Amino acid sequence: MAIDASAEIVTPPSRRRRRGTAKVNLGLISVPLLWLIVFFLIPVVLVALYSVGVLTLISYDKYLSLELWRYFLHSDTYLGGPLGRGLFWKSLKMSFGVSITCVILAYPVAYMLALVAGRRRYTLLLVIITPFLTSYLLRVLAWRVLLNPQGVIEAVLRNGGLVADGSQISWLYNSTFAVYLVLAYSWVPFVALPIFVSLESLDLQMLEASSDLGASRVQTFRKVTLPMSMPGVIAAFVFVFIPTIGEYVTPQIVGGKAGYLFGNVIQSSFSSSFDWQLGSAMSVFMLAAVAILLAIFGRYLNMRSVTE
Amino acid sequence: MGQLDAVLGNPATRRTFLKGTGVLAASGILAACRKNVDESGAAAAPTGSIGPIEDEPGVLHAHEWAGYDAKWLYQDYLDAGYPQPKFSFLVNTEGALAKTAAGFDWDVTHPESGYIQDYLNMGALQPWDTSLMPNFKHLNPVIEASGQIDGKQYEIGLDWGYSAPLIRTDHLDATLDSYSYLFTDDAAGHISWFDTPWILQMAAIAQGMDPGHSFEMTDTELEDMKNYTIEKGQKNLYNIWVNYQDMWDDVQTGNVWATYAWPDAYVALKDKVDVAYIRPSGGTLAWVEGLVLRSDTENYHHAHAFADAWSAATVGTRLISSWGYGHANLEVDLSKIDPDVVKVFGLDDPEKNLSEPQSYLDRYQANRNAYNRAWNEVKASL
Repeated sequence: MAIDASAEIVTPPSRRRRRGTAKVNLGLISVPLLWLIVFFLIPVVLVALYSVGVLTLISYDKYLSLELWRYFLHSDTYLGGPLGRGLFWKSLKMSFGVSITCVILAYPVAYMLALVAGRRRYTLLLVIITPFLTSYLLRVLAWRVLLNPQGVIEAVLRNGGLVADGSQISWLYNSTFAVYLVLAYSWVPFVALPIFVSLESLDLQMLEASSDLGASRVQTFRKVTLPMSMPGVIAAFVFVFIPTIGEYVTPQIVGGKAGYLFGNVIQSSFSSSFDWQLGSAMSVFMLAAVAILLAIFGRYLNMRSVTE
Repeated sequence: MGQLDAVLGNPATRRTFLKGTGVLAASGILAACRKNVDESGAAAAPTGSIGPIEDEPGVLHAHEWAGYDAKWLYQDYLDAGYPQPKFSFLVNTEGALAKTAAGFDWDVTHPESGYIQDYLNMGALQPWDTSLMPNFKHLNPVIEASGQIDGKQYEIGLDWGYSAPLIRTDHLDATLDSYSYLFTDDAAGHISWFDTPWILQMAAIAQGMDPGHSFEMTDTELEDMKNYTIEKGQKNLYNIWVNYQDMWDDVQTGNVWATYAWPDAYVALKDKVDVAYIRPSGGTLAWVEGLVLRSDTENYHHAHAFADAWSAATVGTRLISSWGYGHANLEVDLSKIDPDVVKVFGLDDPEKNLSEPQSYLDRYQANRNAYNRAWNEVKASL
């Protein structure tokens, strides 16, 4: 095919026009940039300063010290070595498990909505999401009604003879399982959204081509649909992983003594323990850990190669 | 409703955690650009001379517990014609301290006596002139002593209570006169603690430590109590409660047989299930709360009138009989209070019953951070 080279030549924009474009870009980016600086960067710096005692609640109490960092980093209770029994690793494992579970549960829902439901997809999406527009706290409290020893689930099991009178299912409530269950429930519909968007934007001709070339439906899913929806899956995973690693409300309500997580210690340090320095050190550590993990995920999953 | 209240808070609720989160987040930023607190940390004197009440703005700002804006608590103040105070609410004293450090203004607030020194260190307080309060002479001197520092009355102690075991007598033998109910293997799986480092002190007292010394344990003693509490908690604990209504529910349903409780739990539950409130005769820990006065208040006389109204015997009678909290006024009408409650509170002789060695009132702990860190480690290890 002959190419008309002259058609490729684009007249460079004039200097004035370039300057105008730069101004527009600066204007567009300045508001979100300012927002990030004021509400993210500066608070993070402040928290970091609290963690080393440069800032303290009571001004006369100022001192620069890494003592709390040393205490925290050497604590078997909170860290306990790489992948040890420390609370941070417990939170990390919980968050990872919840994120994976949510993605696995949400994918079929998003798939059905995007590729099977047809014109009713948005109506069904709304139906799925509607219950989750109610207060997060109310939904977690509702689980407490279901899971507690006098709750619906144990009552049904007891009436069915599956649980003996006088005994309790110890893992159902005030347990790690309860936290896991409620967190997964809470996040599934929101996880479905990015996967839905990713699947909905699939080029259906690719699926048809796969079929025309003799691939089975499973092969088409494995070789075409899943890889092409990976950006949505990764976004969904991160969407759950980041907020759940610092979660403290759900463990407080349904976790009991076993559900205590890293976020609870941070919350406690900033409230009843009145120990802002330790809480700040833990917060900065968690922020750094999450950033490193996300960088590793990003590199390992090689998002660009998936999308291209 | 009870479960919703458990999180959202309700009248007279304290020490709930959820509502405080936003406040603390804001305080963190504000604290970095604080104002209005004494940088030196010295106790501040009243700013300027104290003028007549007519010169004061008049609308008192009370930073109070949720529910403590009920008019009957300061009815005499309103009846005297003073304007309705403006209320803001605190979730816990630590949060109130943080807000104060960040420059939040109030005329009076309502901390536990153990935190007066912290406010004083900020330079946020001035002493009360008790001669301006006719009801002060009726207040329990033992309680008022807990509000004094260097001979000055920085807090008018008003409401108080014990922190002690409440047990289900249909499951546990009530003859054990000790904090050991909170750790005993006899109640394995049915023990509930409140989220407080006082549990470490209770463990120490249960093992024979002098209750007074439990406020100033050495690092080794604290480490021992931490390990003991972790061991007993892993084995016997049902949960750690944050909201008292959750605990009431758990006691009522039989999930919990022994719990850390204030006397209000006994008042609420005694007619519903078989319970006993155990005040260990070897020494019971007790808390006191009251009003403190801001160092730079412009409502000096109004604040005194407000505190005096709170101090009235009628308030005390109602506070004890309806909310199950103690009150410092010694003139409360005992005939209007359930005899059972009189016994539990020791109201027949409150001065003696709140004095050592019967009771050990909350106090400032210079080593508080060590207690809190040990307690956080306990919770993280269960």
